Amino acid sequence: MDQPQLRKLEATCIQEEAPQCSAACPIHIDVRAFMGCLAGEDWRGARRVLDRTMPFADIVGRICDEPCRKDCKRAEIGDPLAVGRLERFCVTTTPMVLKQPRLPAKGGRVAVIGSGLSAMTAALDLARKGRNVVLLTADEEIGGSLRDYTEEMLPARVLAGAVEILDSYGVTIQFGSSLHKEFFAIVRQDYDAVFLDKDLAGLASLPVDCTQPDPLTLAVGQDGCFAGGGSTENGFSVMKQVEDGRRAALSIERYLQKVSLTAQREREGACPTRLYTVTSGIPPLPEVLPADPAAGFTRQEAVREASRCIQCECMECVKQCAFLQEFNDYPKRLVRKIYNNEAIVQGTRTSNKMINSCMLCGQCTVICPHDFPLATVCRTAREDMVAKSTMPPSAHEFALQDMEFSLSEFSALARHQPGRDSSRYLFYPGCQLAGSSPAGVEQTYLHLTTHLDGGVGLMLGCCGIPAHWSGRQELFRQTRQALQAEVGRLGDPLIITACSSCYAVFKEFAPQLRQQSLWQILEKMELPAPKTAVPPQPMAIHDPCTVRHEPEIRASIRNLVKKIGIATKEQPYAGELADCCGYGGLMQFANVPLGEKAARAKGLRSDLDGLAYCAMCRDNIAASGGRIAHLLDYLFPSAGQEDPLLRPNPGFSRRHENRARLKQHLLTTLWQEEPAMAPAYKNIKLVIAPQVMELMNKRHILEDDLQKVIHQAEQTGRRLVDPENGHFLASFKPVRVTYWVEYQPGKQGFIVHNAYSHRMILPGDVK
Amino acid sequence: MSNFSFISATGWRCGCCNKELQPRKVNVEYMGSVFNVELMVCPACGMVLVPEDLALGKMLEVEQLLEDK
Repeated sequence: MDQPQLRKLEATCIQEEAPQCSAACPIHIDVRAFMGCLAGEDWRGARRVLDRTMPFADIVGRICDEPCRKDCKRAEIGDPLAVGRLERFCVTTTPMVLKQPRLPAKGGRVAVIGSGLSAMTAALDLARKGRNVVLLTADEEIGGSLRDYTEEMLPARVLAGAVEILDSYGVTIQFGSSLHKEFFAIVRQDYDAVFLDKDLAGLASLPVDCTQPDPLTLAVGQDGCFAGGGSTENGFSVMKQVEDGRRAALSIERYLQKVSLTAQREREGACPTRLYTVTSGIPPLPEVLPADPAAGFTRQEAVREASRCIQCECMECVKQCAFLQEFNDYPKRLVRKIYNNEAIVQGTRTSNKMINSCMLCGQCTVICPHDFPLATVCRTAREDMVAKSTMPPSAHEFALQDMEFSLSEFSALARHQPGRDSSRYLFYPGCQLAGSSPAGVEQTYLHLTTHLDGGVGLMLGCCGIPAHWSGRQELFRQTRQALQAEVGRLGDPLIITACSSCYAVFKEFAPQLRQQSLWQILEKMELPAPKTAVPPQPMAIHDPCTVRHEPEIRASIRNLVKKIGIATKEQPYAGELADCCGYGGLMQFANVPLGEKAARAKGLRSDLDGLAYCAMCRDNIAASGGRIAHLLDYLFPSAGQEDPLLRPNPGFSRRHENRARLKQHLLTTLWQEEPAMAPAYKNIKLVIAPQVMELMNKRHILEDDLQKVIHQAEQTGRRLVDPENGHFLASFKPVRVTYWVEYQPGKQGFIVHNAYSHRMILPGDVK
Repeated sequence: MSNFSFISATGWRCGCCNKELQPRKVNVEYMGSVFNVELMVCPACGMVLVPEDLALGKMLEVEQLLEDK
């Protein structure tokens, strides 16, 4: 990722955009923070927010005409916030907290002609910037039109306080100045720039046309002259005076610095914002009105009204995603962290775990109003890490070894239908369905062979998606090529894909392969008479994340489910918005506890029993304690099958075993072939209690690994022994991980008491 | 992890040599970093004991630290 890519991505996430109120405010007061302070009874904090942005807060805070109120998001569901009344409460109850500093004097003489609020604001802003400012007015008092407010609204002593403030910043005020043509000529001669407040009687007598100032810069006809403020066709707006005074001060500052008057000023004044805030589901609380309108809000009333602020933000993706919630961040900040992580040459890459925890499922992109491509960013970052050899070896190794096993001679298979030498179709169940439900694969295959003409071949293997997800592009390419060659060898039949991840891989990366989803094939086919009663109560369909963009497959599933008499009720995060179960992006391997959370969250989207058609969704939700069945459990139940809703998660070891046994079983029963000889260590019989098996699953230790350890220990005698209980403790490092197993010989096999592993290399280990 | 001692009394004996394990300094290695640590080792054949709490505790912590370096 380079800087321009980073900037582009950062700009796509709108969480940090201004809320509607601040954007609509001509001087962008942080209304959201102001409300937050008031709601938390932080009176000084609220005043500080105003002091930071609002000139003469004691005056403007009393009479602000709240142009932001019409844009308040609460207006969508009821009454907008009473911003003006709360500002008045703030400035009448809490004195100034923050006095803005005055920058060192830097030359430049500015004349401000007039005494209205825009003149006052321009004079104040320029004086704060260190300019030498003289305010010239024919009046005898400050304020212009502000003097028309009642004493109750704006006490004269408060308005007069502005003179003190201006004085404290070094502004010279000349009341009673005579504004005639000669006066103006002198002013032009003595001052570098002039601001004319249109809230001033007699302005027309001056030899400068102030009627049409440039809307962006407020420049008028003569060089160095600017004008603003006063009434418009819409009447007199307090905030318009403030906006014009501030805009003119900025123009004069730029004029004095001899820089562009126009560059990058789009966000001055009220401007649009892209912040996206969902208001549905928020209770439409009515506006709090002061019991005594003349006295304004009491503290309690102010707190209640300010507490109605919904503190607008987007966070729509974070609200739904277990990964984003875990790292408690939104895409804009994450992408910056990923960029920084990539830039580290020496030091700790603190974002590796985060990058490897994204499920790459794309839910956030669908939710995002601007389609932030977080999955692509995280996967590309992984590819970058692999290329630079900075990918932590432990993150994906277990999953990649699982893939290797699925592709090995012990699990993989590609055959024409028994008795045939060509295939019109090729059933491709995918590695996880074979691992989760080998009987389901067999039953489905037999059904397809009896109902489709032209021969249905079978291929067991892996589509390579773990390599893709882990950033191993080369391995992914090799896996895909081997698969394509194998399909070619079988005569390029139409692939019938059961797994939606495989479907997605073939569609995106091997478009020359012809494929159709198993569910679309079954939908049009005669189905077997039900052998397992379908549940009488409705079930919730849990779409897998990989059919997010496959509406036809989702429709086929619903038709099939209806056909076999299962009642369903849709849950809101299905279809295009489906969650990932934690397998996606190999998240459950790189971040085990988060994987469990993601599976639980997906299962909890509905109170109903679940119905999945992705083996990993089924198994992960079952492992998290959810009651969930796989559609194939109802379509093609096997003899003696337990209640599909109670089928436990097979776990990693059983999945391995299931794949190997499926191949052995089909080879011997359908093709009458001898399976490959299992290695000697496979003869080690293990007895493993369920709680030990659960521990092994969490620790990513397979029975296969333990068989290797015990085989080695029993062959060589290299093991520790505890004379107290007769247990042995042995270790072995088949490839990169050293496995330890505590065991004892028993009648049925070796009883496993404990198993753990580490990656540190011990003396004597092969490196 | 360098110059750390992880010795503690243990009931495990070497099954090969039938000897009690004894503290000894050994080198362990990961991702090119070598650490000299004191572990319980068979004095005759050198078989090293890595107890569960060490493997899943300090050792895992250091492994992950090195993987992110």
